[in-house]
Parts: sequence; C-alpha cells; structure tokens
Amino acid sequence: MTKRTSKPVRWVGQGMPRVDADGKVRGTTRYVNDVDYKGVLHGVVVRSPVARGILKALVPDPAFDWSPIVLATAKDVPGENVVVMHDRTMPLVAEIGAEIRYRGEPVAVVAAKTPELAAEAARRIRVEVEELPPLLTLQEAIAIFKSAPEKLESMKSQDIVKGDVATGFAAADEIVEAEYWAGHQEQLYLENQGLVVFPQKDGSILAEGSIQCPYFPVHELNDCLKLPPEKIRVRQTPIGGAFGGKEEYPTMLIGYAALPALKSGKPVKIAYERNEDILYTTKRHPVWVRYKTGFKKDGTLTAIECDFILDGGGYLTISDVVMFRGILHCAVAYRCENVTIRGKVARTNSFPCGAFRGFGAPQAIWGIESHIDAIAARLGRAPHEYRRQIHARPGDVTPTGQVLSKENGSTACLELALKRSDFAKKLKLSSRGRLRKGQRKLYGVGLAFFAHGSAFTGDGEAKFKAKGRVELTRLDGGKPVVDIRVSSTEMGQGVHTIFTQIAADALSLDPAHVRFPMADTGLAPNSGPTVASRTTMVVGNVVHRAAQDLKRQIEAFASLRFFKGAPAELRDSQLAAKGAKPVPFAKVAQALLAEIGPASGFFQFQLPPEIRWDQTTFKGDSYPGYSWSANVAEVEIDPLTCEIEVKRVTAVIDVGRVINPVLATGQVEGGLTQALGYAIMEKIGTGKNGLYDAARLQTYIIPTALDVPEYDVKFVEYPYSFAPPGGKGLGELPMDGLAPAIANAVEAATGRRLRQIPITPESIFAALHAPQGGTP
Amino acid sequence: MSTVQRTWKVNGRTVRVRAPAGRRLLDYLREDLGLIGSKESCGEGECGACTVIVDDEPVVSCILPVGQLADGTEILTVEGIEKKRIGRLVQQAFVEVGAVQCGFCIPGMIVSSYALLAKNPKPSTRAIREALAGNLCRCTGYAKIIAAVKLAAARIPAAKRK
Repeated sequence: MTKRTSKPVRWVGQGMPRVDADGKVRGTTRYVNDVDYKGVLHGVVVRSPVARGILKALVPDPAFDWSPIVLATAKDVPGENVVVMHDRTMPLVAEIGAEIRYRGEPVAVVAAKTPELAAEAARRIRVEVEELPPLLTLQEAIAIFKSAPEKLESMKSQDIVKGDVATGFAAADEIVEAEYWAGHQEQLYLENQGLVVFPQKDGSILAEGSIQCPYFPVHELNDCLKLPPEKIRVRQTPIGGAFGGKEEYPTMLIGYAALPALKSGKPVKIAYERNEDILYTTKRHPVWVRYKTGFKKDGTLTAIECDFILDGGGYLTISDVVMFRGILHCAVAYRCENVTIRGKVARTNSFPCGAFRGFGAPQAIWGIESHIDAIAARLGRAPHEYRRQIHARPGDVTPTGQVLSKENGSTACLELALKRSDFAKKLKLSSRGRLRKGQRKLYGVGLAFFAHGSAFTGDGEAKFKAKGRVELTRLDGGKPVVDIRVSSTEMGQGVHTIFTQIAADALSLDPAHVRFPMADTGLAPNSGPTVASRTTMVVGNVVHRAAQDLKRQIEAFASLRFFKGAPAELRDSQLAAKGAKPVPFAKVAQALLAEIGPASGFFQFQLPPEIRWDQTTFKGDSYPGYSWSANVAEVEIDPLTCEIEVKRVTAVIDVGRVINPVLATGQVEGGLTQALGYAIMEKIGTGKNGLYDAARLQTYIIPTALDVPEYDVKFVEYPYSFAPPGGKGLGELPMDGLAPAIANAVEAATGRRLRQIPITPESIFAALHAPQGGTP
Repeated sequence: MSTVQRTWKVNGRTVRVRAPAGRRLLDYLREDLGLIGSKESCGEGECGACTVIVDDEPVVSCILPVGQLADGTEILTVEGIEKKRIGRLVQQAFVEVGAVQCGFCIPGMIVSSYALLAKNPKPSTRAIREALAGNLCRCTGYAKIIAAVKLAAARIPAAKRK
C-alpha cells in the first residue's frame, strides 16, 4: 500500500491515449452518415445560378411529378426570414423580389425519400433571376478602395489607434511600405457537412449531426423558425473534422433542413457530397493588407500604419469578429509606440466567408511577418537579430494598451526556435538566388514570430460566463460514473481526452471513472462554442472547478457515512480519513447514489476583475491570455522548374500548461500542415461567375504524406495561473505563422519577396524572371 | 443496369453478391453488408477514406463497380483487419502513438498501412510515405501516422520479416 504522504497520481501533463481512439481505429465510430435514420427525407438546397440579381420567380417543371416531393420556399419560413448572426441582413432562403447576393444563395429546399429523387426535383425548378453586375473578387474591391476609399462597401469597419503615427513617421529615418495578399482557403474536413432535423410533436425540433457549436443554432434560428431557445435542441454526432467550417455554417444547414421538416412533419437529412461541400460552404477570408512602417537607423519602430481588408462575401455572418481578431494580431507581437490599424470587411458577391482555424489571425500574421523581414532587409539586419530587438515581452504595451503579463513565453519561444533550428548558421547557407557550391537546389530558411490571443476577444468571456457541470451518476448497469457536461464538441482536437484528464486530476480519480458524453444542448449547460482557442483555457477551467465542487460533495458524504464525521479526502480513487481504512470510490459513490441520488458539481467562469475592455474604442485587454510561437521553415526550390519543397519546420510554442503532450504535438503538426497548404498549395478563387474554381479534390490540392516536412515541435510552458490547470489556447496558433516563415524562406532562397499566397512554382517562376527591384 | 451475381470472400466470410453491375463497391459494403468502417469523403478516388483491400491490393472502393470483381475475389475491410495479427499491431500503434484525431480518414489509413506491412514488414520512411500518399488526412499532418506504421513494423515478429 502506498504511503499517505506520496503524491497522488496526476493525469494532466501525461500523454494519455485518446478516449475515443478505439472505435476510430476499428471503424465502429458512427458518424452521421453511418447511422441508418429510418424514415428520413433527404433534403437538397435549390440555389441561385447567378452571383447577383433580383429573384423573379421559382418555376417548378409542370412535367415533373411533384406529389412525392416536399418543396419549401421563403413562404414556408415560419417567422421572420432572417438568420440572426452578427447582423440581421441574411435571409434563410431568398424571397421573390429580393436581391441575390452570391452564387449558390439558397432560394428553396426540396426533400424526398431518396437523395437522387430530391436532387432531380431540385434540377426541375427553374430559378429566374434578373441579373445585376456582380463584384466577385477582393481584387476588384481593393481597386475601388485605392481609387476612392469611401466607395468600398464595408460591412464593418474598426480602427485601433495607439499614440500618433504622424509623429512616428516624422521621427523615422526610413519608411517601408508594402501590400500582401492571400486567397480563400477551404477547411476540407474529411467528413462533409451533414445533419438531420427531427420535428417533434410539441412543435420543437431536434437536430443532430456534424456540428461544431451546438448552442449557435439554438440562439440564431429563433426568429426564423419562430421557436424559443428551449424548443431547438442540438447535439453532435462524432465530427470528422471541422476547423471552423462547422462553426456557424451548420446553423444555416439546420435552417434549410427545418423548412421541409416542419412543413412535412418528417425528419429531413441534408448531407453534402464533396463537390457541393466545397462549392457551397464557407472559406477562409481572402485578405489584402498594406503596412506602412517607420523606423530609426537602430531599428526602433516609430510607426506602424496598417489597412486590413477582408473579403466578407455576400453577407456579414460572423466576419466582423474575424476582422477584429485580424486587426488585434496585426501588430501585437512588436514594440511600437505609434500604431494605427484600420480594418474593414468588404462586401462582394462571393460566398460568405466564415470561420477557419485562426479566424483572421493567419491573414494578419502573414502580412506583418513578411513585412518585418522586409524592414530587416532594408536595415541590413538578419531577420532573427532584428526580431530579438523589437519583439514584445512581459511588461510591454500592446496596440490596444494591454500590458503583457509575466505569463508570456515570447522570448523563450524565439530563442529556443533559433537554437533548435540552428537558424543563424542556416541563414548564411541560404542561396539568395544563386546556387552555392554543392547546392543543386536553391535553399532558404525563414522565420516567423507571433502571438495568438486565447479565448473570446476583449470582455467576451466576462460577459458570456461559460457554465459547466460535472455529475456523479449511474450507468445503465448500475456502475457509478462521473459525467462531464459541457457543450464543447469533440471534433478530433482531443477535448474528450484532455477534459477527462482534467476532471480525473481535480477529483483524484482514475480516468476510467470519467466519461464525456457528446455535447447536447438538452443535457449540457452552455459553456460556449468550441472556437477561439478558448476550450482548454476557459472550459477546461470550468471542468476543473466543477469537478472540485463535486469532490467536496463526495468527501462530505463519505465523512458522515463512512468515517464518523472525520474529514475525508478523495485521493487516487479512494476515500480516506485519518486512522481509518480507506474506502474505494465506487463503494462510496454507490452509497451516495442510493441514499441521496445523483450529485453535481457546477462552475461558471469569471474573468479576473482587472481585465478591462472597451468595445467601441478597442482599448484595453484584448485577450485574457496569449499563446506564443516561433516557426522556422527550410525550403528547397528547383532552379529550373521552380518546384518548392518545405524540408524542415521547427515550431516552439508557449500554450501554458500542456495538458496532453502527445495530443498537443499532434494538434501542432496538423495545424502546421494546414498552414503549409495555405502557403504553397491550396488555391481557390471566385473569378468566374462567382463559383469557386476548384470544386473537387482533383483540383483543390492539400498536402499528402509525401508533401509534409520533418517537424520539430517543442513546448515551453508559461501557464495561465488564473485558470487552473493553466492551459492557454493551442488550436489556432499552429495555423498562424508558417505561411510567412515559408515566404521568408523563399526570399532567402531566391532573393525575391513574394507577397501573395499560395506561393506556387508559377509565381516563383514569375518572380525569378521579373526585373529586380520589387522587393522593398 | 444489368445485375451481376458473384461469390466473394469479405473479411473471410463467403458472401453471395447480387447487385447492379455499376453499383459502387463502397455502397455495397456500407449499405448491403453494413460495413460502415469504410468512409466516403471525395467520391472520386482522391482521398482514400474508402480504401479496402481487394486480392491483397489496396483500392479505393468509391470508384470500383461491383461488376468488375470476379467470383472468388477476396476483400478485406477495416472490420476484418483486426482479425489479422499485423492489423491488430497497426491499430494498437495508431492508438499508442496518437495518430488518430477526428478519425474519419483512419479506417483507410489503417487499411493502407496494413496492406504495406503485409507485403513489406520493414518499410523505409519513404516507402511509408508513398504507401500512404493516397490517403488524405486534414488533422494530423501525417507525422504520427508515419510514426505509428514504424512502431507497428518494429513489433512484427522477426519471422514475419523478409
């Protein structure tokens, strides 16, 4: 028997295998398309064939047999025809006489017993639209902005101002100005969008499927479905990847399926095939960002002026907050007294863009990290030496006036990444456009350094107050079990495993006693969406505190029931009191369940009171905590074909306390690989009639096992002490910085700076054969 | 469409097939036999989520019509793989190494990994990358998947190796 003084077993910090791995490797996990839903109708969305115009009529083919078809149009929307996201402009399906704003905008939904019949019915509806000239690309919008800024239709604008840039530029010895572009990026979760809406007898609906944020539809469809939140119940099935793509979009999908479901009284399933999924779901926002920076001969930045414009597409949806996160990351990682950042969301007639891992930050960091290298080049400084000088560290003040706390491992990330990658030495080996002795390919190494704000922007968490429960209950067989009840969804990132670890530690229980059932708004309180790199930090803390609350209840019961009132402690799955023989947890739990019934620990998240944020001026503490990283990329470029290969990537990361190092490393490697695709492979646009021009996996290319570099991932831990166990955001950070690190490596290899991603062999060829002088 | 009648072995079990010649093998496995482990993602043979083994070769079942497979064809899906020693080693290694995230590509990955190791129990890293190049994963960045195949290979008893 272990001594009373020995430390209890700890699960946080261990690489515990995933709790959901077994079913996934055996093929028994049932995703939504693996469930045989008896009696469902299959829904297909009827869409606008043009990108902009006035919807004149929907004409069903009179030669077609419509008797087995449920056809739902705007007339069948039970309430006000609006999906309430961050404004009230977007209808669920377009009204006759209203303006169509993007190609593929839904105009009706049909449902039938088979997907084939439904698809045929959808084809038999003629959608008549009086066309208007569309604005299809960000390039066109920026051309307008450059000629007459006031003529750009911005759905949301926001500035950040610190100091005075005019003073800063006056004090500068030199000024560097440049523009950077990035295109759309598709989330490309392997499991396509899919869900089922079941109408209930009491008029409510139940939706289940591949849904990242079950509470979103509960609060966004009330007006259009005329149902209060308690009459919209949503639960997740196992999610085959989401990356933001199943964040806000499934709200619309539930709305589409609900129309024929409510009209017919039958459950309706909508499951996209890949082609439809790429063509008609959200993407990462294209960006145009212009930096103008003033600096002294010694490198001190005296002014940063930045215009940051996203392509929002046809409707705002959630793009305002994507832009906010973008501008908050435009200059957060460097010291500068005078900063002005102007963010806008351009309205175009492309498909509305949406959430994708990083949420505006990768676009911002793509710009600033390319630009910092350009400044270093102008100064004749090595990029890593220059970043050593100007990078933000504890005590520094961000553009919104936030003082960085000691819980920021910025310097440690930068130094360790430089050391592990042997950056200084490799920089000297870089080709700079000419093969060195022994080189058969152009070689270059590049660096990016960046922060990612954890959790909702500003006082979002303070206002939201994430809630969660940890319950002691019984399985069907009578075995006691501890259930985690929060609305965080498992979508591959590993939350079911790490929350099991957190709860097991807080209770001092073996993880075998802990379960984390799938998120269900009917059973779990609202702990918020699974987004914004907030889950480990915020909801992890809720689970920790709620489990502690439950532990106290179990201990109090055990004290009275088993130890004659002597203080009892739950430790390593048994209850112990001084001088008494310990009692196994299962026995105490059985007694508690039998004599009192299920017990529940609860917690509601609160931010430290000193966190202050002004949403109108964008001043204050923009995030409760920051994660940090430095990425180093090494590339080789064939001088003849311009084929580019990323050979090695070093990523050093501060995400606070690492809950599960195996899962965390996997998150980083996966995020870096998405960033690799963003940087050099994934190309998709809306130039032709507003329809995405890469609609399938033959044309939209993502990295394969042959494309990935050797990864060196290392964590340094600066825990967020306010919220034990002290994790900061991890999910998005690996997506943020690799694209500019690769662009900087391409510059080191070729001597040319490429200011648009993806960087393809074609664009490298064009840069190599362009006249010199384009690089600032 | 003409209906074909065939006799196959699926996961070691004799199956009398009666299906339209053009029916996709993936649909036949998932819908007629209930073997839902094989997944559909791209539907055009690009992503490998539907990979199964047909007569010792990994194939993408989403673009393979039932009519193309003769009598006596042997098919192994992810559900049959755990009955194979190497298959179990692959599954265990994926779990231990942390090669699984969302899991949607994993059945196909397991099948392709098994197909590789059944033929080449000591593959080089390059051989593993090539064997898995037809299986897309959006979560993991492949590093842990490659590591899992290496771990499984290291555990194959020496007698099994060439």
